[in-house]
This record gives sequence, C-alpha cells and structure tokens, in this order.
Amino acid sequence: MGRNRADRPLDWGLVAASQEPSLQPRRAAELLERVEKNIHRVIVGKDRVVRLALAGLVAGGHVLLQDLPGTGKTMLARALATSVGGTFRRIQCTPDLLPSDITGSSVFNQKDLTFEFIPGPIFANIVLADEVNRATPRTQSALLEAMGEQQVTVEGTTRPLERPFFVVATQNPTEFHGTYPLPESQLDRFVLAAEMGPPTDAEALEVLARREHGDPLADLASVVDIADVIELQDACLRVVAAPAIRTYLVALLQAVRARPDVLLPASMRSGVYLQRAAQAWALFEGRDFVLPDDVKLLAVPVLAHRLGMRGRGRVAEMLNEVVTTLPIPPLRQH
Amino acid sequence: MIGRFRLPRSPIEHSVEARAFVFSAFAIAVLAIVLYGQDYVVPAIGVAAAGAGHVVSYRERTRRRDFWRQAFLAALIFGALFYVIADSTLALFGGVLPQANFAILLVAITSFDLKTRRNCYSSLWISLAILYLAAVYAWDYTFGLIVAFWAACLAAFWMASHLRRLNAAMSGPVRAIAVVALVALIAGAGWFAAVPQPSGIPISPLVISLPNFTSFHGDIESPALPLVQLSGDSTGASSSVDLHFRGRLGDAPVMYVRTGAPAYWRGLVFDTYRNGAWTAANHVYRQTEPYVPPRLLPPAPKGNRGTFVQTFRVLRPMPAVINAAYPIESLYAPVAGLREDAYGTFHTPDQLRPGQTYSVVSYIPDLSPQSLRGDETESVFADTSGAYQDFSTLSIAARQLAARVAAGTTNEFDAVMAVTSYLQHTYTYTLALPPVPAGRDPVDWFLLDVKTGYCEQFATAEALMLRSLGIPARLATGYATGDYDPVLNQAVVRERDAHAWVEVWFGSHGWVPVDPTPGVSPLAATQFPSHWAAGGIARLIPHLSVGAPAAALGSLGALGVVPLAIGIALVIVVAYAWLRRRRWTPSAKPQPGESELLRLYERLQRRMDRRRAPPETPLEYQRAMQYPLLADVTQAVNEGVYAGRWPDAHRVRDMAKRIS
Repeated sequence: MGRNRADRPLDWGLVAASQEPSLQPRRAAELLERVEKNIHRVIVGKDRVVRLALAGLVAGGHVLLQDLPGTGKTMLARALATSVGGTFRRIQCTPDLLPSDITGSSVFNQKDLTFEFIPGPIFANIVLADEVNRATPRTQSALLEAMGEQQVTVEGTTRPLERPFFVVATQNPTEFHGTYPLPESQLDRFVLAAEMGPPTDAEALEVLARREHGDPLADLASVVDIADVIELQDACLRVVAAPAIRTYLVALLQAVRARPDVLLPASMRSGVYLQRAAQAWALFEGRDFVLPDDVKLLAVPVLAHRLGMRGRGRVAEMLNEVVTTLPIPPLRQH
Repeated sequence: MIGRFRLPRSPIEHSVEARAFVFSAFAIAVLAIVLYGQDYVVPAIGVAAAGAGHVVSYRERTRRRDFWRQAFLAALIFGALFYVIADSTLALFGGVLPQANFAILLVAITSFDLKTRRNCYSSLWISLAILYLAAVYAWDYTFGLIVAFWAACLAAFWMASHLRRLNAAMSGPVRAIAVVALVALIAGAGWFAAVPQPSGIPISPLVISLPNFTSFHGDIESPALPLVQLSGDSTGASSSVDLHFRGRLGDAPVMYVRTGAPAYWRGLVFDTYRNGAWTAANHVYRQTEPYVPPRLLPPAPKGNRGTFVQTFRVLRPMPAVINAAYPIESLYAPVAGLREDAYGTFHTPDQLRPGQTYSVVSYIPDLSPQSLRGDETESVFADTSGAYQDFSTLSIAARQLAARVAAGTTNEFDAVMAVTSYLQHTYTYTLALPPVPAGRDPVDWFLLDVKTGYCEQFATAEALMLRSLGIPARLATGYATGDYDPVLNQAVVRERDAHAWVEVWFGSHGWVPVDPTPGVSPLAATQFPSHWAAGGIARLIPHLSVGAPAAALGSLGALGVVPLAIGIALVIVVAYAWLRRRRWTPSAKPQPGESELLRLYERLQRRMDRRRAPPETPLEYQRAMQYPLLADVTQAVNEGVYAGRWPDAHRVRDMAKRIS
C-alpha cells in the first residue's frame, strides 16, 4: 500500500528539533523588515512588489519584473542588491549580446602566455538582466542555464556561482519590435513574476520630492550582509508546509488544470515554486509554518506568467477566481 | 495501600451515537417499568432528567469534574435513597416498584456525569437491573420485544463506542452480509425442521420471567378459583368444578408468596362428583377470629419436619379463600373474621383485594414413602356421609381398569402410586381438549376414549379410581408453587398456575396430596423439594438451567428459527474473521487538544451570523468577522492545523472561558 508523503503526518518532533540552533522566525522577520524599510527609502510605495522580490531572493529563486520602462524595476533591483550587501551586476540585454558577454570568457594574457578567465557579469550575488526579451534565444538560454543550475560552463570548464545567486530579469511587455519573447519553458524557471504598476499620485509626488537633490540610491547602505541572506534562505527551507497545505496546493494545481480556458497547464515545478514562495512569505510574518493564505496570495505572482490562456483570457482573473472558489482542506484531519 | 490499586482510566466517550444508545436502553427499560409496573411519575421525571443529563455530560465530557457538583450529585443519590425508603413505607406514588424508582433516579442522577465509557456502561447495567425488575411483573410477549430492543441498544453502544475510538467509519460489505444472513436463515430453518421440537409444552407467547422449570405449569378448566368475575358467589368462591367447561388462564400474576419452602397452595376442596361436576357436600362452617392459633387447629402431624411461614400478597381480586400449604399450624389474615369449612379451608368474609396480605404457618409433614407404606386406611377413617366412597359415575370398564392397575399391590400407598403412575405414563397432558360429547361422563370419556386431558381430568379420574378400590379420595384445587423470583425472593403465582390434584386418606397421616398430572412427581405436592431450602446461588440454579432453550424454543414456535439463524451467522462471521485474521487499522491518533479546539472554533462560528465558507481560510474569516475574541482562536487553529502545534486542553478551556 503506497502512501505518498502528503498523507504521512509530519514528524513534528524532528521539525522542532531542527529549529533549535538556527534562525528563529521572529529574527528572520526582523531582518526582512529591515531590508524592506531600507528599500523603501528609495522605492516609494509598492510594498507588495518589494516584498515579492525579496521573497524571491529568500526562496532562492529568480524574479521576473514586467512593466513599462521607467517604473522603477532597475531601481528596485539595485536597492535590493545594495541593502543585502552583495555584489551587483547589470546585464543590459540587446539582440547582439552574446552568451560569453554574460558568462565571461578566456583572454590570452600575453605577459604570462596563458589564457586567463575574465568572469562575466553573471558572477555576482544579484544580477539584473534588463529587458531580457531583447536578447537572442541563444543568450537567453545561457542566462537561464546559469539560473537553473547555479553554475556556468565556459569553454569546457564548469564554474559554480556564489551563493546567493539571484537574478532579477525585467521585460517590457508592450514592445514587440526586435524582441524574442521568452519561451514558456524558460518562463517556468522564474519563481515569480511581478508587475510594478503605475504609481499613485501621492507616490509620484513623493518620488519627485526625493529626487529633488540627487539620487537617493547613492546614500543607501547595506543593512544585512550576505551571510544573513544565506541564513534566511536556509530558514525558508525549514518553514513547515503541513500536509493540509500540500493537499491544498495539489488541489489548486488540479483546479487550474481543470479550467477549460487554460491552454498550457500549471507544471509540477510551478507547484514546487508555489510551496517554496509560500514558505518564504511565511517568514515575513514571523511564522515557521505556511498558511493557506500565503498560497492564495502568491498564486497569481507564481502561476500567472507560466500559464498560457486560450483566446484573450486574463490569467490573473482566472487564477483569482480559482483561488476564491476552491475550498481549503478541512481543518479536522482526524 | 488501597490507593495504589486504582482502576485504569476509562477512555472518554466521544461518540454521540453511543450516548444516544445508552439513553435509549435506559428509556426502554423505563418503558417496561411503565408498562408492567403501572408506575408513571418517577419514570417520566427520570427519563426527562436523564435526557438533560446526557446532554450536559456530553458537552462537558472533556472538562475536569467539579468537586461541588460531584458532591451535589452524591447528595442527590442520598436523596433518592430517602425517597425510596419513604415511598416503600408511605406509598407516595403507589409504591408498586420503589426499588425500580430508585434505580431510575440513580441513572437519571448519574447521567449528569457520563464522561467515560465506564460511566456509560454502568448506566447500562443499572438499566438492565430496571429491566429485570420489570421482568418480574411481565407476563406477555411484548416484554420479549423490549428485551430484544434493549440488547440491540447495548450492542449498538458497544459498536458505536469502539468504532468512534478506532476512528473507523462504518461501511459494511452489503453483499457479503446479505449472503451470510441468507445462508444462516436457510441453515437455521433446516436445523429447526430437522430437530424434533419439544412436545407437551404448550405453545404460548414467550414469557421471559425466569420460569422455574421444576414446577408445574398447568391450567384448570373451572373458573372456580382465580377469576372472581366469572363466579356467582358474592365472595367470589365457586361451589363447584365442572369438567365440561374450561376457562383460559393467562400469565398475569395473581399473588406473591414469600415462603420458606415451595408447596402447593391449597384452596377449595370438593368431595362429591356427580354429572361431571365436583361439589362440596359438607356445608358446616366454624367461625374463627382473624388470628387462628395452633390450639384451635388440628394437632401437629406426627413426625413432622417443622414449620414454615408463608406470606401471601394478593395482586388482583381473588375469591374469598385462603390459599395456603396444608396442614396449617396457625394463620392470620387482616379481616373481620374467618370461617373454616369442613375441609379445613379458611374463608374470608369478602373477596380478597389487591394489596391484601395474609400469613400462614404450615407444618412440613413427613410424607415419605416409607412412612406412608405402613399406613392403613379403614382403621381410622369414619365417613358419615359416604361421599368419599361414591364412585357411581364410573363405568364398569373404568373400574376394571382401576382394579387391573392396582392388581398385585399389598398396601394402600402402593395402590395409590400404581394408579398415579399409570395415569401419568399412559395419558398425555393437553390443554386443547375437545368438548365432552353429550351424554358422556367426562371421566369415562377421558379414561377410555381420548386419553388426553389436563389436571382436572387426571385428578378426577384418579380420585374415582381410588374410590373404586376402596380408598377415600377427594379433589383439591388451588395453585402450584409459581415461579421463584430471586430478586424479590418470593414466588410469583400466576393465573396459569391454577391447579387441581387429589387428596387421599391415609389412616395416621390424614389427607395426603397426590398429583397424577404428567410432568410432575406423583408426590410433588407432598414433598417439599429441598432445592428451595438451599440458600445463596443454589436458589438461582433453576433459572440458569440449560433446559431453558428447549422450552423457550417451544414457546417461540416457528420464530425459533431466528435464534438459530443468529447463532449460525455468528459462527460464520467468527470463523471468517479467524481465517482471515483481519485487523483494524486505526487511523492516526488525534493530537492532544485538537478536537477540543476545533469544536470550540465550530461553536464560535455558530455564534456568528455567518459560518466560515469552505474556500475561506481561518484568517480571512477572522478579518471578515471583525470579532476581537476570534483572533486568539484563529491563531491557535492555524498553529494547530498548519504547524501541528495544538494547544493542550487546559488552554482551550481557558479560551472557551474567556469567550463565554
């Protein structure tokens, strides 16, 4: 009688024991709040997007920001990188960008008469891949290999990337000239996608006020160090997703698949990412367990960009409808 | 030291169904008391209180027992005890069944404290005791149904309780059950058809009143004794026993007899048989006081084995005749005065009313075969009227039969025993006797033609045959011992215990009762069986005898298939279970406090104007409701369900207290 993991009750004792020496959820929430506050010194409003981006970092995944130019995508990525104190590189994607421009290449050192590897911009903690849909598919796949494998292979040598490795890719959804839209399989590699959205009037005024005497980004300092980020990522892995949550996730994916207007169904990886993102989200509230609320909240950012809709259906609307109608698993398990 | 030997903790009974079955079993037992005890006030109060008690104890089953409430319940039990004492002396509500009322009140009071399974079982056992008390009064078929329902409730409680503990849902393989039931029914019917059924035991409705199989279960034709309304005499006593007619006698109790030994309760005696009817020729009466001391009565029989006391309690209107074991040493009846007739029977001035009691002290005469064998008749007996020698109605063939039967006997006792055992072994007992043909004497017809009859035919035939042999004999009527009830420690005499037998004159012993009816010892009336004299558990043994099923099956008739089928089904199921040795696989145990917390959460939702919708998470529900006290519970629920950290029952209780 095969019982899958979802049916098996958690070993709560083991969970509790493993928590002892590590980062407590309360402390994690404190660190994250500090980072968020720091980012908000630069980014006005946009609490949700900021938190989503940070959640992507904590979940150990990569984030796709989609919006019009000039909405603060790059600003957000840079503020995030500065706040966590890691190395930051920016890749401006263009159609003539080559894979080696990202990964780096070997250059002949004439003094030593040897080939010397010059690391590309990918060798950083936080990488901003700006306008990723402008790069050619070949370059995109090099970037995405790095994102997926946490390693780069250049001229036969595999070089691991340093932890944390976090890619924030942006793409402009309205421009189609000279773009190579990301294939679905590659979109699937981003743990979540977010839209910046237009600022409100008050936010716009505030942005202008802050820019009056220069760039606030210049004054930004790091509030946590890279070790803290690694610790946060570890803490995220220890957040408990109860059997009920797993049941709920499976039911949610099933419900999305069952929708007649969905052309490309939700992959298993999307379920894994949704669980991981929900774990990260729980840390923001100082919890060491996932609530169905987290899953509900993250369903659109995690799932929307992966799903292909039939006709002109709106993915976000469909997902919201599924989430509001799908019953959560019964509270009584016994 | 005692404190160390505590019983293991009984699991808390969570199942609502199981509790419902406990209550139903109690209600069924109380219904039996209402039906058979004609007791209404206390049972009604008891059932209502028990219902409330069940609700209270279910809702508070996880709470700790409050000391003051326990003390209050204990005080109530003492109150019930005082009530019972008052009821049995003052007859507050009729006082018919004070002990049943006590048991009912006991269940009602303790039902406020049914936390564990053990408590539920004790409630069940008390209701079984109530049912037993009702059984004492029960006389009809309905009681069997009540017992069946009660047993079903017991089984259902057991199953519901266990299934709940195992967390197993009840889902039966319908097909397999149907097949087993069908097979069992067919096999049971086959078995029933193949096994010879007990004959001679009258097919009557099943009477579950713990019958005493050693005593006689007969019937007499004449309505002379038990049924007042059928007799013409103002005192209810009839002056004749007519063998042409026969009344039907039911199972209703007539009187209780608290007695030191079982005996036949003798009433009227008849000496003249003419035209198929017995009458008494001697109408001489002697007036006495209500208390008749030994000096006014015949002297103690020689070699008697002491005396024993009987106290009779009349349950329904009865003829004005004192039924008692003979010979009487002394008696007392609370009436204005007594009359003793020429046959030694005492009469009261008016018919006996329900509730009336009287006491009689009787000798246990030495009527052993040894002493009777050496006894001679004619030496002492002086019959002035000649009634005891009158056998003129007996045909020549019957007289020859008597002579043939008694041939070779040298003394009176042997002759009597020869006739008695001849009648017992050659003739069969039946209550379904066709009407006597016109112009035939009932005794001749019985002896020579039909050869079946009931006690009156047997007794009359024996009396006349003995008379034809020159032995004085007469007809005695009255009641057989009745069924011994170990709870009440007294015999329950019913209508169907009415009986007729023969009294034979022995010179130095006087009138000796002899019973020619088949199925009893010829000297059953004369011997005082020792099994009642035994105390303790021995008194219960007749009721536990393995002879019961045969008689019960006989009285069930074709329904006897049912118990057989049940037994066979049980065997099949047990055999199957043993062969497969399947085990229950209990699901994971609930965490501590889990069910309590979730129940509290449910309760809170019920209190709101809207319950949580299925797609709504607890947090969303809390935000939508804006109810401050919900926050705590919601957080606890979230932690429990999604982190596996359930609060302990104490914390839940605190939360519940804060909310209410």
